Amino acid sequence: MLTQLLNWIDSRTGYRGLLRHALDEPLPKGTGWAFTTGSVLTLLIGVQFATGVGLTMYYVPAPALAYDSVRFIMDELPLGWLLRGLHFWGASFIVIAAGVHLMRVFLMGSYKAPREVNWITGVVLFLLILAFSLSGYLLPWDQKAYWATIVTINVSASAPVVGEYMANILRGGSELGALTLGRWYSAHVFLLPAVLVIFIVAHIALMRKHGISGPMTPQPGPPTAFFPWHVMKDTVMMAAVFALLVTLAVLFPAHLDEIANPADAGYIPRPEWYFLSLFQLLKYFPGPLEPVATLVIPGLIVGALFALPFLDRGAERHPWRGSRRVVTLAMLALIGGIGHLTVLGLLDMPARYDPNDWGPQSIAGRQLATGPDNTCQTCHVVGGPAAPLAITRITKDEEWLLFHMGDPVAIAPGARPEDQPAGRPRLFRLQAQAVVSYLRRARAGADDVEVSPEDLTAALTFSNMCIACHTIAGEGGDTGPNLSLVGIRRDAASLRSVISDPSSEYPDTLMPAYGERMTEEQMSAMVNYLAKRR
Amino acid sequence: MTTPSDTVDPSGRRGFFVRIIQTVHAAIGGTVAFVLGGAILAPSFAKREPSWLSAGRLDLLREDEPLAVTLRVSRQDGYAQVVDRKVVYLVRSGQDVRALESTCTHLGCRTSYDREGKRIVCPCHGGVFGLDGRVLSGPPPAPLTALETRIDGDQILVQV
Ligand code: FES
Repeated sequence: MLTQLLNWIDSRTGYRGLLRHALDEPLPKGTGWAFTTGSVLTLLIGVQFATGVGLTMYYVPAPALAYDSVRFIMDELPLGWLLRGLHFWGASFIVIAAGVHLMRVFLMGSYKAPREVNWITGVVLFLLILAFSLSGYLLPWDQKAYWATIVTINVSASAPVVGEYMANILRGGSELGALTLGRWYSAHVFLLPAVLVIFIVAHIALMRKHGISGPMTPQPGPPTAFFPWHVMKDTVMMAAVFALLVTLAVLFPAHLDEIANPADAGYIPRPEWYFLSLFQLLKYFPGPLEPVATLVIPGLIVGALFALPFLDRGAERHPWRGSRRVVTLAMLALIGGIGHLTVLGLLDMPARYDPNDWGPQSIAGRQLATGPDNTCQTCHVVGGPAAPLAITRITKDEEWLLFHMGDPVAIAPGARPEDQPAGRPRLFRLQAQAVVSYLRRARAGADDVEVSPEDLTAALTFSNMCIACHTIAGEGGDTGPNLSLVGIRRDAASLRSVISDPSSEYPDTLMPAYGERMTEEQMSAMVNYLAKRR
Repeated sequence: MTTPSDTVDPSGRRGFFVRIIQTVHAAIGGTVAFVLGGAILAPSFAKREPSWLSAGRLDLLREDEPLAVTLRVSRQDGYAQVVDRKVVYLVRSGQDVRALESTCTHLGCRTSYDREGKRIVCPCHGGVFGLDGRVLSGPPPAPLTALETRIDGDQILVQV
């Protein structure tokens, strides 16, 4: 019955012939493990396609929802964290696998005539993969994504003459925002995959046309069939790489920073590791020399890759014989350089933002937003006119949030007519700022912390009186010194003296004396808290 | 033309290899399908946690006189949040309160209370319900949906 059905399908489509053509490809004798890199790459790309389809079902390419939709995937969607984990790790795996594949082809001289066009399509595929990473990086719309993309676009803007136009095209305007997200998303899920598929088909068709290059010195003997002899090797490699991918995705789930905050220019961006070398290179070419790092050097490298089969034309395939030595040395130097810059970049990485380092501002904000006498609960409760705080999302910009917290009734800045002046603000600006800081942290998945009543007093005092000038845990102003680790420099007694009367130690200081402004309770809580920061 | 596969099979390992290949590929495909399928299908079968909302004070309800109240049901809508409105009838009999959804069980029109007839009527296709929610006439296939209720002090709580 089944055979009959298959016979019928075959008679109408000829699929068996096609399958036989695909599987019985004769491979030169001695085609070994080195020739499994392409299959591994194909598998990884397949995994990206599958997981990508799953992610697009939930992801929303709009600044107000992008982050929350990724949060939803990570925290609430069953298996969502693994889905994103596979996609996230898969991206790195593909870059590595593509690099290994390229090196294999390079070292074994497989790009030589008549396979020049195979090589060129391969280089295009490599660039496409990098474009995938770049465009995908922005999509989660967290701090990391936002600020790294600012850098990427500034890099393109540094190109002479056309730079600004290019940047505007990449951004869809003069600012990074909703239109940028839309076009990067579209490129990531429609444009690039379409182009990628076309080039993969071409790459494989060309591989079949010329046959696999095989071992560097041809071995006598009959060819072996692709299936099952070589497929077995492919399968073993694929299984190993896939197992590693799943393991990493399970053990180290993909990261998601705080939601992007365009108002926070203090954020130090860091690119994905495979762009780190380029990022590091930028540091050596400041100012007008910048295009050297952003354009000239990468341009020369890519140009050389494209031109390789035409520069190295001899028949010799061994990497260390005859004229091949020169290109091999050049390639090793390139890889060494990239590796060196990457390591330097890794050493120079800013510390990861840690949502679990609760600074005083977010502790104060938590108290204001969720403490017993918070005013949010007037509306944000189960059964109330606004969604309960537990499920409220940050879908508005910071200005809106601050305004709303000061005057919750007027839900848009300027909405209150002049003849209806607002009452006393529900939350003063610094308090509102603290609540925003708490909400962002809570949404970034921070674990709740226990805070002693004394530390709470200190946090409320700090975020009310000190934060405009002093920073702790990345939050606050920079007029005065950063106090994140002030406990190393001073003990409680010296803190008390300098807070009570700063001019006793620093005659020229602008800091007012807080001896009179703080209650004794506030002062002692404050100095004890600061002394603990070490 | 002889296919190369026939020319080199020294020890009959072919069948063995084919089976390993099939198994490994099935395992890889199965893993991806499990994660992808799970993530795609899971929300379709997720249940919402019910919550108790206060619907009003018991002493304001008159015996057998339904009162339509609007409840605000906030819920998470995937990655978004919404506050839905739900109109329910509260019907008191003694110390007991029934809560009936106001949505007609036929095609989902909003019903209303007919004070003179002491019944709940649907404007769309003439469905008529009694104060206990039962269908008195017309096309509705089932009584109005009853919601769990609870009295807490003087408050009526309704489960939505
Ligand atoms: S919808 Fe109510 S009777 Fe048809």
